[in-house]
Amino acid sequence: MLYVVLLFLMISLLLYVILAGADFGAGIVELFSTKKSQQITKKTVYRVMGPVWEANHIWIIILVVILWVGFPEFYNVLTVYLHIPLTLVLLGITMRGVAFVFRHYDAYKDKSQILYDWMFRISSFLTPIFLGMTAGSMLSGELIITQDYEGFTFYELFIKPWFNGFSILIGLFFASLCTFLTSILLIGEAEGTDRPIYVKKSRNATIAVILLGFIVLSYGLIYNIVFVTEFLKNPYTISLVLLSAVLIFPLLKSIKQARKIISRSLAGLQVVLILIAAIVTHFPNLIITSNSQISILETAAVDEAINVLGMSLIIGGLIILPGLFHLFKSFKMIKVLEK
Amino acid sequence: MDPFSLKISLYKVPLQYYFKSFLMDNLDAARLQMAFTLIFHIIFACIGMVMPFFMIVAHKKWLNTKNPIYLKLTKSWQKGVAIFFVIGAVSGTALSFELGLLWPEFMKHAGPIIGMPFSLEGAAFFVEAIALGFYLYGWGKIPEKFHWFTGVIVGIAGVSSGILVVSANGWMNAPSGFDYINGEFLNIDPIKALLNPAWFTQALHMVLAAFTATGFAVAGVHAYQVYKKRQTDLHKKAFKIAITFGAIAAILQPISGDLSAKDIAERQPVKLAAMEAHYETKKGVPLYIGGIVDAEKQEVSYKIEIPKALSFLAFGDFDAEVKGLNDFPEDVRPNVAIVHYAFQTMVGIGTLLLVIGLLFFISLKKKTWWDNTKFWLLFTLLAPMGFIALEAGWIVTEVGRQPWIIHNIMKTKDAVTPMPGMIYSFYMYVTLYSILTVAVTWLMIRQIKSLNNSKLA
Repeated sequence: MLYVVLLFLMISLLLYVILAGADFGAGIVELFSTKKSQQITKKTVYRVMGPVWEANHIWIIILVVILWVGFPEFYNVLTVYLHIPLTLVLLGITMRGVAFVFRHYDAYKDKSQILYDWMFRISSFLTPIFLGMTAGSMLSGELIITQDYEGFTFYELFIKPWFNGFSILIGLFFASLCTFLTSILLIGEAEGTDRPIYVKKSRNATIAVILLGFIVLSYGLIYNIVFVTEFLKNPYTISLVLLSAVLIFPLLKSIKQARKIISRSLAGLQVVLILIAAIVTHFPNLIITSNSQISILETAAVDEAINVLGMSLIIGGLIILPGLFHLFKSFKMIKVLEK
Repeated sequence: MDPFSLKISLYKVPLQYYFKSFLMDNLDAARLQMAFTLIFHIIFACIGMVMPFFMIVAHKKWLNTKNPIYLKLTKSWQKGVAIFFVIGAVSGTALSFELGLLWPEFMKHAGPIIGMPFSLEGAAFFVEAIALGFYLYGWGKIPEKFHWFTGVIVGIAGVSSGILVVSANGWMNAPSGFDYINGEFLNIDPIKALLNPAWFTQALHMVLAAFTATGFAVAGVHAYQVYKKRQTDLHKKAFKIAITFGAIAAILQPISGDLSAKDIAERQPVKLAAMEAHYETKKGVPLYIGGIVDAEKQEVSYKIEIPKALSFLAFGDFDAEVKGLNDFPEDVRPNVAIVHYAFQTMVGIGTLLLVIGLLFFISLKKKTWWDNTKFWLLFTLLAPMGFIALEAGWIVTEVGRQPWIIHNIMKTKDAVTPMPGMIYSFYMYVTLYSILTVAVTWLMIRQIKSLNNSKLA
């Protein structure tokens, strides 16, 4: 049952990264657009994301619940030592959700829209960065797990783990992944004449992802970050990343030909491959601190709790997934299914 | 060398310093933050949970009568539902994080035990979000009946989430489903924890309270519009739907309150004693209404006394013995004054709303009342009352549980995060939620304004 729970953890993580990632990306694409294409993007995004964006973000709640129920000590490390970046993530999620609602449900469309728009764009940009920073700090090797709180400074324990070059780079990398996902999604959704805008954006986003990925790895090598050195040594990881890299060529070709089904599947697959590569590198040690590594398997709760959690997830999944699928289908979110 | 490290001397101050200045109030700050976020979340969540029911009634009336006013009303309420759902969802996401961020030691031990209500709540919430997606965007796109039915699912899923979350809170009051041996939680049984002894009475009380509070609040907003003579046709119909739910719930609430009182008398006698500011263990104890608590002298002055009523309410026997606060060591007593005042507020307003609920049903027979502006003014003034009672009720149960986070097992002070400086986090949340409240209120005012300015077909 432990592996069922882990599978659900993995699925929710991937779905959150892809679905919410595309959602964050929507705000980032808007942020980096000219005034005219901003309005086009805003309209398209609402049409595509409107019915599903709330559902997209529930994956993080599922993720958190699985962690705290199934892997309480693992979650404990995150909540105690990454309190500040997680709070920043929360702040971003809140501002973003509020801005999204306001800009679409305000009865009067007047100047206040400008405020909502900027709130939406900026929080869409910052939230994935903070999320990436949180993930980065789990792997940065800067975390200090201790009972002796008085032996360290506030900075060493609660700030340095996430506020360092590596974590920030991972944050930027994740934000670029989100942009990458959305711009490719939007190619297929935009009206014919607007398509070239997103084709161009997709190309820029792809370049940003490659560039940042390269910078992250070089930074890790230069500063000797355990995660990166092992990432580059692991044959599985390398082959997954290479596969993802090779896929860029068919992706660029499909972007050029504006073939949305193939380009979307490829983009999604690439992100999944990169994530799996990152997880495989060190599995099951998903937290690397300054002097030790924490295995998620060793922090698993007692069997009774895991069994009940696994059963709840299976039953919940059986109810939710068909409903979610139907929702996506009804509002033509997955055009792949139609053609 | 890490190029990003900040070399400001402030960061080099040993943590010890922070501890000395913050440890004392770190717990208080964390508690304040939790209370503050919960107080807000409860309002958003209750409205998001109850309003779908108003919406589907209006929708059904539209389908049956084809009176365009009902369509207009349904569509206005659906906007309200959407706004409150999202705000409730984001403040709920914040809370699910905060549980861990503020009380890591609690979550470490309690997480696996009470994971079940939370994971099921996640599922119910998901179902609600999916159904709401269908409902909001399904107008004219999916079959009429199925569309209406998705609205029903929104309502049912919302209430289920509410019940499940309250069940988790019930577990903190009535911990069960494990053995606590030498500081360790053994033999965990998550199903027994879900169905803890407090879940039913608490969930029933909360669901009725949510319907009362939202019913009176929504009815109050529409009553004000009738009072101001704006689109009276529509607002009278809206008022009637909302207040019917609110009044029925208010009339049923005393039954659930009685169940809760008897339950608490048995499980958490110290909480009951605090609710009634009852210090000395006695037989045939009177019930105090109102009064000012002097915690030092252990006296309640300016109260109304109903002889033997507390014994009867708690145990169904006028001569039953009720344990007083002095039977419990001082370090396990909650703050008596806060609990007592909150309890009095809750019961007082509850009684008022019960009477008004009955008045509403009488007004259905005496139609002339509906032409009297004072009738509408009365309901306008009552709009916030249900929520005040609901918040007071939560203060009774939460402050009344202190100093325990898990009753008789773990103290709140042992669960709080070791990270110092929680007071700043508290300030940040106060600012954020205050802005949120102002913004949502503003948005709602604009919704109603636009509704009033629009022409009815």
